[in-house]
Amino acid sequence: MSATGKLISVRRDWRERDVRVLLAALMVAVATVATIALFASQLQKTLVSSASAFLAADRQLESENGQPIPSAWFEQARSRGLQTARMTEFSTMMSGADRFQLVSVKAVGQHYPLRGEIEFRSALDQPEKTVDEGPARGEAWLSPRLLQLLSVKVGDTVDLGRLGLKVSGVLVREPDGGFSMSALAPRIMMNIDDVAATGVIRTGSRVNYVALFAGVETKLEDFHRWLKPRLGPSHEWKSVRDGQALSQSLEKAERFLLLGGSLAVLLAAVAVAVASRQYAVGQRDTVALLKTLGVDSDRIARIYLRRLLLWGAVGIVGGVLVAIPLYVILSEVVASALDRPLAYEIDPKALLPALLTAMVSLFGFAYPPLRRLRTVPAMQVLRSQPGEAGRAGVVDAAIAAVAVFGLVWLYARDITMVLSLLGGLAVLLAVLAALGWLMVIGLRKLSGGGSAWRLALLALYRHRRASLSQISVFAMTMMLACTLILVRTSLLDDWEAQLPADAPNHFLLNIAPDAVDEVKTFLAQRGADVDRLYPMVRGRLTELNGRPVREAVSKDRNINALNRELNLTWMSALPGDNRIQAGRWFTAGDKTGVSIEAGLADRLGVKLGDKLGFTIGAQHISEPVASIRTVQWDSMKPNFYMAFPPGGALQNMPATWITSFYLPPSRDAVLNDFSRKFPTISVLSVGHVIDRIRTIINQVTQAIETILLLILAAAITVMAAVVSATLQSRQREGALMRTLGARQSVLVGSTVMEFALLGLFAGVLGVMAAEAAVWALQFRLFEGAFRWHWAVILPLPLISAVLLAVLGRWQLRPVLRVSPMVLLRRLE
Amino acid sequence: MTDTTFMTGTSAQFMLRVSDLSHRVNLGHNTLTILQGVSLEIKSGESAAIVGRSGSGKTTLLGLLAGLDTPSEGSVELGGAVISVLGEDERARLRAQRVGFVFQSFQLLPALTALENVMLPLELGGLEAPEIRARELLKRVGLGERLSHTPRQLSGGEQQRVAIARAFAANPVILFADEPTGNLDNHTGQAISDLLLALNREQGTTLVVVTHDERLAGRCQRHFSIDAGQLTESGATPA
Ligand SMILES: Nc1ncnc2c1ncn2[C@@H]1O[C@H](COP(=O)(O)OP(=O)(O)OP(=O)(O)O)[C@@H](O)[C@H]1O
Ligand SMILES: [Mg+2]
Repeated sequence: MSATGKLISVRRDWRERDVRVLLAALMVAVATVATIALFASQLQKTLVSSASAFLAADRQLESENGQPIPSAWFEQARSRGLQTARMTEFSTMMSGADRFQLVSVKAVGQHYPLRGEIEFRSALDQPEKTVDEGPARGEAWLSPRLLQLLSVKVGDTVDLGRLGLKVSGVLVREPDGGFSMSALAPRIMMNIDDVAATGVIRTGSRVNYVALFAGVETKLEDFHRWLKPRLGPSHEWKSVRDGQALSQSLEKAERFLLLGGSLAVLLAAVAVAVASRQYAVGQRDTVALLKTLGVDSDRIARIYLRRLLLWGAVGIVGGVLVAIPLYVILSEVVASALDRPLAYEIDPKALLPALLTAMVSLFGFAYPPLRRLRTVPAMQVLRSQPGEAGRAGVVDAAIAAVAVFGLVWLYARDITMVLSLLGGLAVLLAVLAALGWLMVIGLRKLSGGGSAWRLALLALYRHRRASLSQISVFAMTMMLACTLILVRTSLLDDWEAQLPADAPNHFLLNIAPDAVDEVKTFLAQRGADVDRLYPMVRGRLTELNGRPVREAVSKDRNINALNRELNLTWMSALPGDNRIQAGRWFTAGDKTGVSIEAGLADRLGVKLGDKLGFTIGAQHISEPVASIRTVQWDSMKPNFYMAFPPGGALQNMPATWITSFYLPPSRDAVLNDFSRKFPTISVLSVGHVIDRIRTIINQVTQAIETILLLILAAAITVMAAVVSATLQSRQREGALMRTLGARQSVLVGSTVMEFALLGLFAGVLGVMAAEAAVWALQFRLFEGAFRWHWAVILPLPLISAVLLAVLGRWQLRPVLRVSPMVLLRRLE
Repeated sequence: MTDTTFMTGTSAQFMLRVSDLSHRVNLGHNTLTILQGVSLEIKSGESAAIVGRSGSGKTTLLGLLAGLDTPSEGSVELGGAVISVLGEDERARLRAQRVGFVFQSFQLLPALTALENVMLPLELGGLEAPEIRARELLKRVGLGERLSHTPRQLSGGEQQRVAIARAFAANPVILFADEPTGNLDNHTGQAISDLLLALNREQGTTLVVVTHDERLAGRCQRHFSIDAGQLTESGATPA
């Protein structure tokens, strides 16, 4: 190889520590983004498919108007390559041996369920098994509770309207036995082709007709586009994403992954910047020499640009090579949690963000210091010139800041996230500036002396510029890692808090006003504590500021809440997990106004003071928006879009009451007594929904932990970059001190202390900045309440101090091992 | 700018012509004058020594003469080209063609072997068969057996010999040396001086040396001394 070729070869670069750090950082950035992107799309698919089971399909179309769904729509869907199935749901009285019972009938057609499975027993004492189709004609499956209520067993015949059905199995769980408030009485599942023969359904009966669709996402969307203009007001198009309880958790997880990814990239970018700057400083002499040998600045620029591009190629390839096995491992974990094989799919589109990250890291962070190499004066070979100007550093930092926040915005698409992080960094810089000033005036007075403490403080003061920049990088690392840990902790805590072991697993609906007290006592006597009962009035939102709501809201937005009756309530106290976002909650004596849920307000574009008109039965009411509040949809408690004050507009409307409570599965028998005592009250069991959400959250938690590991890798590369930046000069200094007669113990002591102090400062600063960022993030993104995280705040600075002390001791190793002479010569 | 013409009749015989050169650096609050009214003329093939106390401005002057830096005032004419008015990149090109350097601290690239260090200017100048010429030169400076050694594996004197081979590699018309023996012991310094002067004679290269080494200075044809930024010629030794 020629000398010039060797001089600019990347293979040789690998021997330079700074280049290694830079490449490692680049790979971490690329690997993180690629892994997250690949895994997120996989997770998305998996979660959607496991959550699809809640619908027994990918999409449902529900018709609440008693009109069957036109067969042409099914044909259209099939012609577009979608699978379809039908089902019909209604309530009716039925009889068993000698008893009558209000039941909720689910009549299912061929191919039901399109997604998920029915859990079923061939008799009460038989083991559970899963099947993927409903009962045959002439047969029915009954829930265990219904078997008991009717006191029938498998093999008996039950009467539904004019039709006798043979009980051929026990329905344990249906895949879409989700969470809808309309699932009222105990369940019986039958074949849809038997429905007509029962004679139960007449025009005007309250029947839900449901169409089920499954297929590729794009085809589903195409079909929905076709369908949309044909839908009437009582049609509701349901996708998993609208399933509130789950989707809110998933959304948080997705945001977290994005936040984590952005932070990892930020960290790696810092490492790239530090390493590149250090590399450039080391190259100044070479550049000066090349210039004396007659190389012009354009050629210098070209040499380093070429190098940069080669690094980029190495970083991208290396990062992707790291990402793929990681992705496979992660997917494997999820697959084993789900107990179902997954198809790996390396979506090239998922690699695009990684590519972009590499480019931004290279040109935003690595390039600026290299670019300035072209301006190194040739005179430097004769006398080292005033070095890198501080002003250039500011420009670099500005470029880097723009690049980084561009990246974060790109991934997270969330201005709050960007601003929170920026805010945290601003706090950090402000405190750093103050600290630098304090250090200058505080440590200046320090007089020399032999003690390790003195030397450590003196070293901090002497290198105050380097110390400050190290503290800022360490603190930034701490801040970012800490932000992530805090958000993760509070995210998991939130989930835990929302779904504690005794999260309500049963709902009671349709409680008549005069039965409220009786229900309370009944349950209290049996140890099931009912937390709070809410009145519930069903009504439609029909007007916004006097105009029909469909005109007032932009047409192309399909807002499900407008397609169906909403549960309206009145209450005096705000539920504990609700938060007022705007306006104020009702005070005693308030009789007007309505409080609207924040998400819906956002979708409708409703502001405080806007007038909402509701149609309830034949009556019409109109109330101004008094407050906008957030609701924890995943809390498994009754939640409402609209709340009125007691004695307000809802007061004289026909209301039933609703509540939720926890009953250990072992005591399900209580429900039977309950249903016998209160036959008109509907009991809705959601235990299996909770179980499923828990499973999904567990998987997501695993993913989050893995991402956290990646972040840690990024943090370590940053540390390595920063320490290696000063490694040489520190080692030279150590060798000199030994030459000048410093005892080893003093040298070690002072270095360890200096680094420990650095770590402590950085830790304190990082934690402060992280709390600031989390405080900002928490409110909007994760909708949790802010609290101080003492468990993290207190130990982190100590951990950081210890970590850096160890690092300081480690970098001193060569200084102590060999004679100062050898070292000085090597460092020449 | 008194004289910006190239290769005028009078300047052709001078390899280096400096007139009324001054150099100041701005230190923020005040300016420091390092060189003041320096003029000198050196003919092609001559050897010249510049001596002076530490801090007197020798290195600064050398940098200006070689076009590594531009003076605050005055002109520098090298081989007929007025380099003090040229841009950085034009000066670089000129250096690649005409100028060689030897430094007190050798300035070899640690990552390259002795051979590669010598090949570097040849390759950069786009000359033919760089390796053959580099081998020849290293043999000439007595390092024919050390071609594949890196600077770390060489002693100071050996490194300086590599640097000299590198300086002569591209056939420069003029060679600048800043205290080439400053880091070496007497004996080795002597050998390096021999080498420099021998190559100066063999190749007809003009030699400008800044040195504290009186013996080296004494062996040059012309002697300048610099004091507080002022240059004076202290008499010539006949060739
Ligand atoms: N860029 C600069 N900024 C400030 N002062 C400078 C600068 N360049 C040179 N000087 C000063 O100019 C004076 C001359 O420096 P120069 O290096 O030319 O001296 P020298 O004669 O080579 O000394 P030595 O024999 O010690 O190498 C010194 O006092 C030096 O500090
Ligand atoms: Mg000097």
